[in-house]
Amino acid sequence: MTLSSFGYLLKEGGRNIKANRQMSVASIGVLVACMLLIGAAVLFSMNVNSIMGYIEAMNEMVVFVQDDADQATIDALGQSLKSDRNISSVTYTSKEDALKEQMNIMEDAADLLEGLQGDENPLPASYSIQLKDLELLDETVARINNMPGVNYAVAPTDVAATLVDVKKGVSTAGFLIVAILGMVSVIIVSNTIKVTVFNRRKEISIMKYVGATDTFIRIPFLVEGMIIGLVSALLAFGLLWAGYDYVLRWLGETGSSWLQMAYANLIPFDSIGLRLLGGFTAAGVSFGVLGSLFFLGRYLKV
Amino acid sequence: MIQFTKVSKTYDTGTDALHNVTLKIDKGEFVFVVGHSGAGKSTLIKLLLREIAPTKGIVKVNGYNLSTMKRRQIPGFRRTIGVVFQDFRLIPTMTVFENVAFALQVTGVSSKYIRRRVPYILDLLGLAGKARCYPQEISGGEQQRVALARALVNNPSLIIADEPTGNIDPELSYEIVDLLNEINKCGTTVVMVTHAQELVEQFDHRVIMLEKGRVVADYPAGGGY
Repeated sequence: MTLSSFGYLLKEGGRNIKANRQMSVASIGVLVACMLLIGAAVLFSMNVNSIMGYIEAMNEMVVFVQDDADQATIDALGQSLKSDRNISSVTYTSKEDALKEQMNIMEDAADLLEGLQGDENPLPASYSIQLKDLELLDETVARINNMPGVNYAVAPTDVAATLVDVKKGVSTAGFLIVAILGMVSVIIVSNTIKVTVFNRRKEISIMKYVGATDTFIRIPFLVEGMIIGLVSALLAFGLLWAGYDYVLRWLGETGSSWLQMAYANLIPFDSIGLRLLGGFTAAGVSFGVLGSLFFLGRYLKV
Repeated sequence: MIQFTKVSKTYDTGTDALHNVTLKIDKGEFVFVVGHSGAGKSTLIKLLLREIAPTKGIVKVNGYNLSTMKRRQIPGFRRTIGVVFQDFRLIPTMTVFENVAFALQVTGVSSKYIRRRVPYILDLLGLAGKARCYPQEISGGEQQRVALARALVNNPSLIIADEPTGNIDPELSYEIVDLLNEINKCGTTVVMVTHAQELVEQFDHRVIMLEKGRVVADYPAGGGY
């Protein structure tokens, strides 16, 4: 194929979009709608996950140190905790700190504890730790209980189990919604391509009669599919961006402290926007290309 | 130029469309193919265009053996023939110019040549003023002339016309056949399938008559059809 006919075929693709305006607009509409739905579902489940992660991170457990442990054992325990694979942060509270904290809490009655300083202090030293993965709570607790110097570990097992369940549910639901929307989109988009090609079967057969090769007929369709896919991706991206921004602003202005907490943990559009745009573009363009390769075949047998 | 040797075509549906047809059309001839509906005229055209392959026998056109031809050879073969249909088959979203230019584009010639060649052909067929029109904006007779221009633009050695006058007024029909006649005078072989008896009588050319899938008569030019 010569360069000039390649240029011609590119132009043909563009011209076809204009010549079949109605179908082009319909295809773009369908693609944009599908991408918006999927994009919204992805954004929603990613954000719910992020909020759940935040709630998870707030979930602390406390490891009480044996009262008779010497400083070396306590330090060694701190090291073991820090190097544990499922622990993300470790904060030490000494016996004295624990007492001060208690006195702060009691405020006016703090005097009552005054006499408990020094050796009389009944409060144990402790480590507050945060877990990386709540799902592994039970085995982590078992591991901690085996460490020397540990009296016992207090873990919010019920809360953790609930959180883990909710998180799993959200992930599964999000995945299912995206998968179903994806399948529906594939069906709708392939039908749209089928109709487009069907509408132009006569044109295709005419091209065959004057001696056009299959490649010659395919390239304009391919170019057309790519342009439509690209335009749809950009449109969907822009709309989603605007919509997401609007929701974020609304959440930011709202008074509810619960929503404020959620707002603080929402994913800013910038950090996922590029990935979303990439996904949309890849999906749109590959639909255009694969669709025109796949559905054109039967009309080329003239 | 065209040679059918004991050609039979039976469709998958069981229809026996052509039966043991042997015929030869030489370079430079003008041949009318006549016959009632179902006589096998359409099958003959489809075989000539290699839209279908024969069930039995050998079809040779322009030096190509269509019986053994591979799929990828078909486009190259079709560029050596020009074809005109009853329903014109112009692309509605292309202008007259683009419709004609398209047949050249597929051959990969330079756009400079196309810009020279297409206006020349349009002018030859009296369509110079219609280059920018779309097919639906011009008359049936003009549309058929555009189709003829498209068939001619590649300088084919063979023109196949399938009922070219079927969809246009009788007075314009004569004009179309006359154009084909002029083209034939320049050395191009013309095979025209038609129903229009009066047209066949007006032009003194060879006539092949089909009936129930067989050649029942073959009158040479000046041979008393």
